[in-house]
Amino acid sequence: MKRSLVLPTIALAALTGLAACGVGAGSSQSAPSGNELSPSASVSGEITFWHAYSAGGGEINALEKTIIPNFEKLHPGVKVHDVQVPSSDMHQKLITATAGGALPDVVRADIVTVPELAKLGVLAPLSDVMPDFQSWAAKMFPGPLATNKYKDKYWGLPLDTNTRVVIYNQDALTSQGVSQVPKSLDDLKAAASKVGGGKFIFAEGGSGAWNLLPFIWSNGGEMTDPSVSKATGYLNSPQTVDAIQMLVDMYRAKQIPGNILGGSGDTPTSDGLAKGLYDTIVDGPWTFPGLTASYPSFKPATEPMFSGSAGSISVVGGEDIVMTQQSKNKALAAEFVRYMLSPDAQQAMGKVGQLSAEPALAADMASYAPYYAPYLEQLKTARPRPATPQWAKVDDIFTKQVQLAFQGKVTVQQALDSAASQIDPLLAQG
Amino acid sequence: MSSAPATLVGTPSARRTPSRRRSAIGWTAARTAAVAIGALFLMAPFVIMVTTSFEPNTALLPNPPHFLPQNPTIANYVDAWTGSDFAQYFVNSAYVSVLTTLAAVAISAMTAFAFARFDFPGKNVVYAVLLAGLMIPGIVIIVPQFILAKSLGMLDSLNGLVFFYTAGQIAFTTFMLRAFFERVPTELDEAMTVDGAGTWRKFVRLYLPLARPALATAAVFAFLGAWDEYVWALTVISDASKRTLPLGIAAFQGEHSTAWGLVFAASTIAVIPVVAVYIAGQRHLIAGITAGAVK
Repeated sequence: MKRSLVLPTIALAALTGLAACGVGAGSSQSAPSGNELSPSASVSGEITFWHAYSAGGGEINALEKTIIPNFEKLHPGVKVHDVQVPSSDMHQKLITATAGGALPDVVRADIVTVPELAKLGVLAPLSDVMPDFQSWAAKMFPGPLATNKYKDKYWGLPLDTNTRVVIYNQDALTSQGVSQVPKSLDDLKAAASKVGGGKFIFAEGGSGAWNLLPFIWSNGGEMTDPSVSKATGYLNSPQTVDAIQMLVDMYRAKQIPGNILGGSGDTPTSDGLAKGLYDTIVDGPWTFPGLTASYPSFKPATEPMFSGSAGSISVVGGEDIVMTQQSKNKALAAEFVRYMLSPDAQQAMGKVGQLSAEPALAADMASYAPYYAPYLEQLKTARPRPATPQWAKVDDIFTKQVQLAFQGKVTVQQALDSAASQIDPLLAQG
Repeated sequence: MSSAPATLVGTPSARRTPSRRRSAIGWTAARTAAVAIGALFLMAPFVIMVTTSFEPNTALLPNPPHFLPQNPTIANYVDAWTGSDFAQYFVNSAYVSVLTTLAAVAISAMTAFAFARFDFPGKNVVYAVLLAGLMIPGIVIIVPQFILAKSLGMLDSLNGLVFFYTAGQIAFTTFMLRAFFERVPTELDEAMTVDGAGTWRKFVRLYLPLARPALATAAVFAFLGAWDEYVWALTVISDASKRTLPLGIAAFQGEHSTAWGLVFAASTIAVIPVVAVYIAGQRHLIAGITAGAVK
């Protein structure tokens, strides 16, 4: 976390200096007119594509053995160079390459980084440069699509998506006298008191926004106003405080294990679930392949996110596909973006765990990987984290303040008041 | 090292009564046990890495960790070696590390010799600037360094890695070797001068042979520095055929799940040359580290 905060600061400082010298992104390239990027235009040449697909999970194979060769066959003479960058280091590599004017043409970027990259001038606005942008946007789940929006433009399109649902161990629940899995936040609170003896009704792996926003939103709380311009009045509203207070109370009553503080001393959430130590967790579709491999006899079951007064609202994860302003071959880059969103490429990735952000394709995927089904349902109401270039700092402040509340050093209200007052000036920077 | 017991012989504490001797034995046993426990803690992650590398590949780490492999298999090693261009990464790492070691040691030895035995205007300022480089964390200068590498045509180049790794190592190895060279008695230097030896001859025939432990230490540090380096390589290398081992290993780690068996098999393979270099240089390493400590 520290590194991810230090780097943008340094890079921003460097960029400020570089901009004066004309080295900054976009200074030498102007966006071509829309017609050049239309789907009917013929394409040629080479592009580079940076991504964080995993070598261990078959994703790289799908990309390099199926998707790119098929794209090159469709467009004879073109060449796509793909560069795998570990997801945790993608941000740093992008920022450095931006300063050095050595960006690739197309990037598979984590959804939370898109506004920041857009603000830095790294990205070409797809809603302006792709004439057929609207027809692609119309196909997507609204939550993932919204992660591409910054200052009234769309800077990318959702490439893959995910969210978090309740995964539970029915045997563990039954053995502790809880006949039915908790479906609401009230059910969870009520069931918690029945579980004890070193076992827990629920385990959560951290206290960041990714972890806690589903509780806040489902309880009717918010992190910021709808335009993401201020946190005060939202992050410290009674509904938000209530949601966090419930988790803090459960933690302090030893009804939730210490994982929620983000440490590594407790049994990891997936292991604890399979072993019957934790009855429920809230996690993404990537949990299932790991559980099946490590605990073949365990049959995980799912439910939508615990509902509250606002319903059952989870958080959107995943990646967007974006084009850089520095790209010297935007026509080919746009064509590659289209191909990556096509049924061929999406289905190839669906088979190795990447859920499509297009509902029609995603429904197909649920037919050969049934564990996708509850995620598709949840995605209908799932929301993206607030889109702001300052997201990394905002999340860091939120996490640190909430942890103080979990540790009992401040009240939840004090923690969220403090977080809101620190986040307001960041959001004001736009 | 060898002088410590000799000084004890003549001291009153060396003439011990049987009860004192017994307590000394007890004290030694306690110390040995404490060191052994410490060593076990230090060894545990290494043992877990090797053990997991011989277990079937999973996305979840065994919890609690296993100290002996269950259902042992070498599949991870086969997959890690054949599933990607791991052999190529290994060759790349070896190329970069060996050249960095040779260049860093050669340049530092000459630089350190000059600082140790010559007086020239601005010597202290130049030396302070050199040492100041040690105090700036690498990550702080990564952006300007990237721009420099680009303008030198050293992006995506193994020789570019050697250039920047060598530059990064020189300050520390020069600092270490200077302390060693300064300890060489000036009488030996003067005797060679009387015999008609020039500066280069004295450097090659007198200083370098005497500094062998320090040179070995410098070489081990330079090799390990280049072999383990990740952030700079990640920043400048994009072409998969030019990846070094740390980049290759990181590629097995996914965003939400990691192929731990492959990561640990690859890490175990990557550790072998490090252990070999350390064992080869171990005798000199300890002498070299302590050499500069006391003047």
